[in-house]
Amino acid sequence: MTMSIPELLVNDGFITEGDREKITKYSTESGLSFIKIALNFGYISRKNYERSLLNAGYVIEEIREQPYDSEILAKTDLNFAHDRVALPLRVQNGKIVVIMADPGDELFLDFIKFTYDMEASIILASDLDIIWLSNVLIGEKYNKSAVYELLKRDPDSSAIVTFSSAQLVFIFVVLGLVTVGLVLSFKNTTIIINVLISTFFLIAIIFKLFLALVGSRFELHQAVTKEELKLVEDEDLPIYTILLPVYKEDRLVKKLIWNLQSIDYPRHKLDIKLLIEEEDDKTLNAVRNLDFPAIFEVIVVPYHMPKTKPKACNYGLHFARGEYLTIYDAEDIPDTDQLKKVVSLFGKLPSNYICVQSALNYFNRNENFLTRMFTLEYSYWFDYMLPGLDTLDIPIPLGGTSNHFKLDPLIELGAWDPFNVTEDADLGVRAYAKGYKIAIINSTTYEEANNEPFNWIRQRSRWIKGYMQTFLVHMRNPVALWKEIGWKGFLGFNFFIGATPITFLVYPIMLGFFICYVVFDLSSIRTLFPDWVLFMAIFNLMVGNILMIYINMIAVFKRRYYELILFAIANPIYWLMHSVAAYKGLYQLIVKPFYWEKTNHGLSKVNNPVNVVK
Amino acid sequence: MRLSKSAYLAVITLTLIIYYLVCGIYLNGLGYYNHESLFYIEKAKIVFEGVGNRLKVMGLTSPMIPFYATFAFSGISSTLAPVLASALGTGLLFYIIAGTLVKRLNDDFYIWLLLGLFLFHPGMLYAACSGKNIYLVLTFFYLFFLNLFKFFRSNTTFHVSVASICLVILIFCDYKFVWITLFFLPLVLSITLHSLNLGEQESIFRLFLSFNSPSLRRKLLNKTFSLYIILFALPLASILCYKLLNLTHASDLNYFNESPYATWNVLIDKLSFDQQTTNINYKIPELSLLLSARVLLFCPMILIAVYLFRESTYQVLTILIPFAFIEFLHIKYDKVFLAYQYYLIFIMLAFLCVIFKSHTVKNKQAFKVLLGVTMVLQIGIGWYYLKTSSIPEEQNFVNILINRTEDDTEKDNMAVAGYISSLAGDVHVLADDATAYPVIAFTKNLNNLILPYQPQFLSGLETPDKYADYILIATAKNPVTGYTQLNNKYLITIKQSIPDIGFRKVYETDNWILYRVVK
Repeated sequence: MTMSIPELLVNDGFITEGDREKITKYSTESGLSFIKIALNFGYISRKNYERSLLNAGYVIEEIREQPYDSEILAKTDLNFAHDRVALPLRVQNGKIVVIMADPGDELFLDFIKFTYDMEASIILASDLDIIWLSNVLIGEKYNKSAVYELLKRDPDSSAIVTFSSAQLVFIFVVLGLVTVGLVLSFKNTTIIINVLISTFFLIAIIFKLFLALVGSRFELHQAVTKEELKLVEDEDLPIYTILLPVYKEDRLVKKLIWNLQSIDYPRHKLDIKLLIEEEDDKTLNAVRNLDFPAIFEVIVVPYHMPKTKPKACNYGLHFARGEYLTIYDAEDIPDTDQLKKVVSLFGKLPSNYICVQSALNYFNRNENFLTRMFTLEYSYWFDYMLPGLDTLDIPIPLGGTSNHFKLDPLIELGAWDPFNVTEDADLGVRAYAKGYKIAIINSTTYEEANNEPFNWIRQRSRWIKGYMQTFLVHMRNPVALWKEIGWKGFLGFNFFIGATPITFLVYPIMLGFFICYVVFDLSSIRTLFPDWVLFMAIFNLMVGNILMIYINMIAVFKRRYYELILFAIANPIYWLMHSVAAYKGLYQLIVKPFYWEKTNHGLSKVNNPVNVVK
Repeated sequence: MRLSKSAYLAVITLTLIIYYLVCGIYLNGLGYYNHESLFYIEKAKIVFEGVGNRLKVMGLTSPMIPFYATFAFSGISSTLAPVLASALGTGLLFYIIAGTLVKRLNDDFYIWLLLGLFLFHPGMLYAACSGKNIYLVLTFFYLFFLNLFKFFRSNTTFHVSVASICLVILIFCDYKFVWITLFFLPLVLSITLHSLNLGEQESIFRLFLSFNSPSLRRKLLNKTFSLYIILFALPLASILCYKLLNLTHASDLNYFNESPYATWNVLIDKLSFDQQTTNINYKIPELSLLLSARVLLFCPMILIAVYLFRESTYQVLTILIPFAFIEFLHIKYDKVFLAYQYYLIFIMLAFLCVIFKSHTVKNKQAFKVLLGVTMVLQIGIGWYYLKTSSIPEEQNFVNILINRTEDDTEKDNMAVAGYISSLAGDVHVLADDATAYPVIAFTKNLNNLILPYQPQFLSGLETPDKYADYILIATAKNPVTGYTQLNNKYLITIKQSIPDIGFRKVYETDNWILYRVVK
C-alpha cells in the first residue's frame, strides 16, 4: 500500500509513464489534483480507477449519509474541494474525517493539517460522490448567488415579477376599453380591432421578409475564413469553458463524450462542466458507469427553486476557469472547429462584442414531418433572421445553445436570469441594452430535432412563454428601453420578441374566421369585415402565408436541403401547432411562470455522425 | 471638394429628371395623351373623388403597380400624374443602371454612353414622357436579369429570391411577362447542370453523366426542382392569390386581365385586332421570324452581349429568352402589334451584359468605339422604328415631339368632358367608362357621373328615367361603339322597354353624344 496512486495506475497499465508526466505537469500549472485531471481529462475511466484501487486493497465507501460538522465544512471553499476532489467532514477521535478520491493527495492533507491542526482520517470515496456531497453541503452560497445575483444587482431585469403593476393597469385598461367599446358599438370596435390586427400582421411579416433578405445577402460572408483558422496556434489558445446542463439525460452521456472528444481544441485548455441536478442520480450513475475515460468535470447543482437551466448555468459559472464560455446541450454536435473559430473571431472583433452565436440545425431532419418542419424553421431562423438582425444592429435573441461568451462581461451582466425560461433570448436583449454587441459566426451545431408532437409542444410552450416573459421584463419601461437600444432595436425587439407570441395567439382565431367565412358562408361575418377590411385581411392571410413559406424555402435552399423545400408549404399547419403551444405558454405564464417544461432528448433513432469540418 | 460617385450620379439623375419633366409637361401641354395614361387618370379620379365601391377599383385595376405609382402624384395634378411618375421613374432607372455600372466599371465612358441613351433614344423619352408603364417594365426587367446574372456569378439564394421578387413586380407591371417563365424551364435545368461538380465541361456530356448516375440524377432533379420553386413559387402564388381576389370581388378569375373596366389594353387590343383584320394594306414587318430580326436591327448591341457571354451556354440561353418571349407574344396575341417596350427590353439587357462582361475585352479602345457606333446606330433606328410604328399612339408621340404641334386626338373627349363639367352639381350623367374613360379623365366633378363601379349603374341602365338626367352615348363613328352598351342601339332598346321615355340631344361631337333624359 506504499505505492502512490499515479504509480499504481502506471503499474496497472491504465496510464503510461508519459501520461503521468503530462498529468503531473498540468496539475502543477493548474492547481488541480492529479486524480481530478486523470479522471476528467480523458486519461482513465472511473471503472478502471476503481479496479486499480480495489486490486491494491483500498476500500471505496458510500459517503452520502456520512455525518458532518458545519463548522468544519465552513473552512473549506467549494472550489478547493472541487480541485482536490476531497472534503473534510467532521472531527472524530481527535482526527479530521476527510473524504478523498486520492488518499495520497499531499497538498490536501497539508491543508487539513494547517487549517484544523489535526491529522486526517481518510475515507476513500468515488470522486462523483465527493463532488455530489461537496456541492450539497457547501454549495449553498453559490446556489443562492445563482438564483438571486441578477435580482440583487439589476432587479429591473429579473423576471421574478412577471407583470409589473403598470403593465397590469395597462392590460386591464385596454381590456376595459375594448369591453366598453364592444358594448357601445360592437361593429365599429370589432372593425377597429380587425384593422389593428391586420396592420400588425402585415408589418410583422414584411419586417421578417426584409430581415430574411438582408440576412440572405450575407450568406457567402465568412465571419472566419479557413485561412484565418489556419493561423490559430494551439499554444495561444485560452482556456475554454463548456457548460453542459443536463437533467435525466442518462441515455445521452455516451453520445456526449463522443461529440466532445471530436472538438478540435487542446484537451488541457478545455474546461468542460457537466451540470447535474442534485436529485438526478440517473445521469450521475450513467457517468459513473462509463467504461471509457470521460473528458468533463461533473458539477452537482444543489436543489433550489426555480429548477431551471439558467440557474444550473449560473451555478456552473462560479467554477468556470475559461476566458471564454459556451453552452451545449447533451445531444449537440458542434462543428469540430467551432471553438477555434470563435477564438479567432473574438480576436478580430472590437472589445464590445461579448457573445458569438453559432447557427443551429438538426442532424435528424429527415426523420419525420415534425423534424423536417423544425429544420425548415431553424434554417430560416439561424441562417437568415439572426444575420439579418446582426446586420441591422437589432438585439439578437440568442439560441439556447452554442452561444459563446467572454466570461468577465457575462458575469458583469449578471449572467442568466434563472426566472426566465428563455434566458438566452433575454440575455441577448440585456447585453444590447448595456451597450454590448453580439456577432454571428459561420459555424453550425447540429442538435436533435424534436420528433414527438407532445414533446415538441412542451418545448415550444416554454420558448413562447419565455418570449412573453422577456417582452414583459424589457417593456416595463419602454421609454428607457428605447433610449438604451435605439429606435431600430426597440422596433426590432417589439416585432421580433413581442410579435412572435401575439402572432401565434391570433393566428388560429383569424384562420377560424376565414374558414367559417369560406366553408360555411357565414354572411354575418361580413358585418365585422366590411369590404376594405376583408380585402386587407385576405391580403394579409395570403401574402403573409406565401411570404413566410417562401422565406422558409429559400433558407433550406441555401442549406442545400432540396428535399425539404416542398415541406415549407405545410407551414400553416405547423403554425397551428405553434398556436397550441402559445396558448399553453400563456396559461403557464399566468399560473406557473418559472416552471421549466423539460424537453426529452435522445428520442431520435437517427445516427448522428460527428460533423468534421475539413 | 470632389463629389462622391453616388452624389455625382444623383446630380445627373436629377438633371435628367428635370429634362424629362420639361419634355413631359410640354407634351402634355400640347395635348398629348395615350390610352394607358388616360385610363390611370380616370381610375385614380374614381379612387380619390368617386362615391361607391372604390375599393374594387383600387384593388383590381390592372396593371396594378403602374396604377399605384400614379397615385402618389395625383395630389399634384390628376392629369399630369402619370407623366410625373414616368419621368421620375425613368430617372430612377438611369440611377439604378448607372449605380451598377459605377460599381463594376471604373470608366466614365460607359456613364456617358448610358447618358446618351437616356437623353436621345426616343424609346427612353417615350418611357419618361408618355405616362405609360414602360419605365416600370424596363426597371424591373433590368433588375430581374441583373439579379439572375449575379446569381450565376455568386450562386447565392439572395440573388435568386430577389430575382423572383422582381419577376413578381414585373408581372404586376405587365401581365404578359408571365409567359417569360415558360422559357426559363429549360434554362433552369441548364443552370443546375452547370452547377454540378463534374469533371466534364460540355453541357451534353454533363447531362449524360448526370442522368446515368443515380445519386447525381437525384441531386440534379432535386436541385432543378428547388430552383424552379425558388424562382417561380412567388410569381405563381401571387398570380393565384390575385386571381382569387378577382374571383371574390368580381366573380371572375381573369377580371383584371379581361375586363375593360379593370385594364386599358383589352379595348386597345380589340381595336388593334379589328384594324388588322379589316386592313387592306397588309403590314409585313411583324411576321414571326422577322420579329427577331427586327429586334436585332433595333438593338445590335445584343449581338455584342451574346459574343461577350459566348463561353457559357446557359448564360447565352438567358440572353436569348426575351427573343423567345416576344415570338411567343406574337403568336399568343395574334393581330396585336408588338408595343415599343418589348423592343426596349433588349436595350436594357444588352447594356446589362456589357456592364457585366466588358472587363473581359482586351482591346478596350476598339470595344468602346464599337459600343459608341452601335449606340448611335441604335438611337437612329429607334427614331425610325417609333416613327414608323404600327401603333398609332407611338407614331403620334414622335410626331408631336418632333413637330411640336398641338395634338387634337383627345380634343373631342375634352370637349365632352368640359360640357359635362359645366352641368349643374345635382344632375346625374350615365356613362360607361369601359370606353368613355378618356372623357371621364377630363371631367372635373365625378359626383355627377353614374359609372359601372357604382351599384346604381345597373339600375340607371335599366331605368334611366329614374336615375339619370343625362346619358353619354358613343356615336356610330366612334371606333369603340361596339364595346359599350351605351351606344345608339341602347337608345332604341330602352325606348322599347320604357315607351314614355324621351332623349334630347344636348351636346354632340364626332365620337360622343350627350342626351338629356326626358321623363
